[in-house]
Amino acid sequence: MSGVTAILLAAAVLATWLAVIAFIRLKTPFERLHAVTFVNVVAGGAVAFAAAATDGASSRTFKCFAIWFALVLFGALLTHVLARALHFRDGERR
Amino acid sequence: MTGAWLAASLALLPPFAVAMMMTGRGNVPSRLVAFELAASLAVILLVTLDFAFDQASSIDLALTLALLGLPGTLVIALFAERWL
Repeated sequence: MSGVTAILLAAAVLATWLAVIAFIRLKTPFERLHAVTFVNVVAGGAVAFAAAATDGASSRTFKCFAIWFALVLFGALLTHVLARALHFRDGERR
Repeated sequence: MTGAWLAASLALLPPFAVAMMMTGRGNVPSRLVAFELAASLAVILLVTLDFAFDQASSIDLALTLALLGLPGTLVIALFAERWL
């Protein structure tokens, strides 16, 4: 299980670095929101499955999956809310 | 297996630092999105630190931060939309 954990954690770290590089390179805030979603889905999922590989079926693993669920669910909601807020904010200034 | 978790925690620190730096640069929309990224990275970092130091109870910190990120960001988005 340790090899699986290491691979999953490496995937999480790689996804995070990729997202931050994309975040720097992308120009507009709307494009940058995609990098945030990438971190929430890929890195959060990889860490949750790495926790399952380390701990097995434990309460800590369950909480890790709850955290991933919250990141994905709230991340989608917050991305929509943020994009809407920024859209209206820009609209008022035009 | 805490060594891999500790290595992952250390490897996640530079992206988190970059996200924190981006919250202080640029215009308000860019800062707001950078804050969202930093909040997500903080949750993941807390989970990896919890496994690295084998403190089972501190996973609640990450869970609480993930849950409180929703109302906190909603309030900031409301401020950005109307007043900032």
